[in-house]
Amino acid sequence: MILLDTRELDHPIPLEMAVDAFKNLRNSEVIHMIHRREPTPLFEIITKNGGTYLSYEDAEYIWHIYITRDGDLEGYRV
Amino acid sequence: MFEGLSLDQAPPISIVMRFFMSVPIFGVFLSLLMIVSPTEILTPNHPLSLAAIHLLFLGIITMSMIGALFQMQSVLGGRPIPAPAGNAFIIHIFLNIGIFSLAGAFITQLSPLYVIAAVLLGSALVYTVFLIAPLLLKGGRHSTLRGMLVALVSLFIAALMGIDMADTYAQMSPSIFHSIIRETHYSFALIGWIGALIIAVAFQVVEMFYVTTAYSDWCKRNVFRILPAALVLKTFWLFFDLPYVWGFDVLMAGVLMGFLTTTVQRLRERKRRVSDVSIWFWGTGMGLLLIALISYTISLVSNTEQFIQIALIAYALFAVSIILGMIGKIVPFLVWFHLNSAGYMDAPIMSNIIPAKRSQSLFVLFALVSAISLASVLYPPLLILSGIVSFALFSLLGYNLIHALKLYRYTLDHGTRFEQV
Repeated sequence: MILLDTRELDHPIPLEMAVDAFKNLRNSEVIHMIHRREPTPLFEIITKNGGTYLSYEDAEYIWHIYITRDGDLEGYRV
Repeated sequence: MFEGLSLDQAPPISIVMRFFMSVPIFGVFLSLLMIVSPTEILTPNHPLSLAAIHLLFLGIITMSMIGALFQMQSVLGGRPIPAPAGNAFIIHIFLNIGIFSLAGAFITQLSPLYVIAAVLLGSALVYTVFLIAPLLLKGGRHSTLRGMLVALVSLFIAALMGIDMADTYAQMSPSIFHSIIRETHYSFALIGWIGALIIAVAFQVVEMFYVTTAYSDWCKRNVFRILPAALVLKTFWLFFDLPYVWGFDVLMAGVLMGFLTTTVQRLRERKRRVSDVSIWFWGTGMGLLLIALISYTISLVSNTEQFIQIALIAYALFAVSIILGMIGKIVPFLVWFHLNSAGYMDAPIMSNIIPAKRSQSLFVLFALVSAISLASVLYPPLLILSGIVSFALFSLLGYNLIHALKLYRYTLDHGTRFEQV
């Protein structure tokens, strides 16, 4: 599990960090990103490049996003 | 796992960029006009002044705002604009020819140019409204979407009034309602179209880009009720010649002042104080808005033409400041986003697409243009100097945009994609 807590980071650093991590992701590895909003553009990049994601809002301004290439994210579903 | 989100919403990069690429062209033409005819531009209602005003408000401000709307509607609205490439192509072509025709009509006073401007520019603006506004109506109750809707309806009204005035100019026969139509035209254009859209964008991006606290729900809910209500009532008051019409201007100035103070407060209290040129543009924009509001308020009391001129110039510069700041954020993002979506491993990072040095130079040039343009109200020949600096400003903006597109093209042609690794 690769943890990215980007809640306090200015745009566009969170997006760049997540995409960088995704590019280097191996098989079933999972990125757990914690962000203050749902990063919609990131989802398009992930799905267009063969990845999958799961996102949910835990509390106001706390989003959890799980990203993988080949792994199963069902276990992270709340 | 899409969790209710629809993907593939972002329009192709060429759609937004074509509008942005026209901005420096109109900017250069405006700069040349400032250099050649400074005194005429600063003479209220002079044809060259009207040409300059429309090059600025249509060629620079509206052109970039419509380009940004194509992106924002698709991403925020969740309902993509149908046939975006074809629609953007037609609107962009009509806008360009229409704006040049209108400026040319003011400069040459040739009636056919007014007709061409009314038909092409009018249809481009009205078509844009009919294309995007229905999507916003079904797009939910997001405050930014409501603001975009208010802005588009205002653009529609301003365009209709503009078409009527162009027709009047073409026939050289002003109607008895000319001054009322004129005031309605610029009220809806300046406050309803430009003001509401900037506020709507601020609600979305200030919090997102700069990690600030959110604008209050009361503010988000009511600002897009008060502004259109004040504009409609002001129009009613004007047409029926009722007293105290200035009260609506004071009300709208109050809303803008509230927006200004809450925005500045949020930018000052932001959690991470990372140096970013776009923040400088936002801060300067707020300063210019303050100058515009103070000057306009003084003009209501003193009825001095110079204060109205300062208010108009400062308000236009406020809009340009926000637009330049946003173009500096949007263009690198689009290049980065589209390359990464297409799977390019070596897509440049955003800060390398428009390097900080060039962004800072753009800001310095803009700050100079702002200061000199405002001072030129007191000493008109200074507008020549402002025109020269403005020429450099828009040339640099053009260079930044072309360079970003070249970088995009180069990566498309030579980059490595995921599947090649």
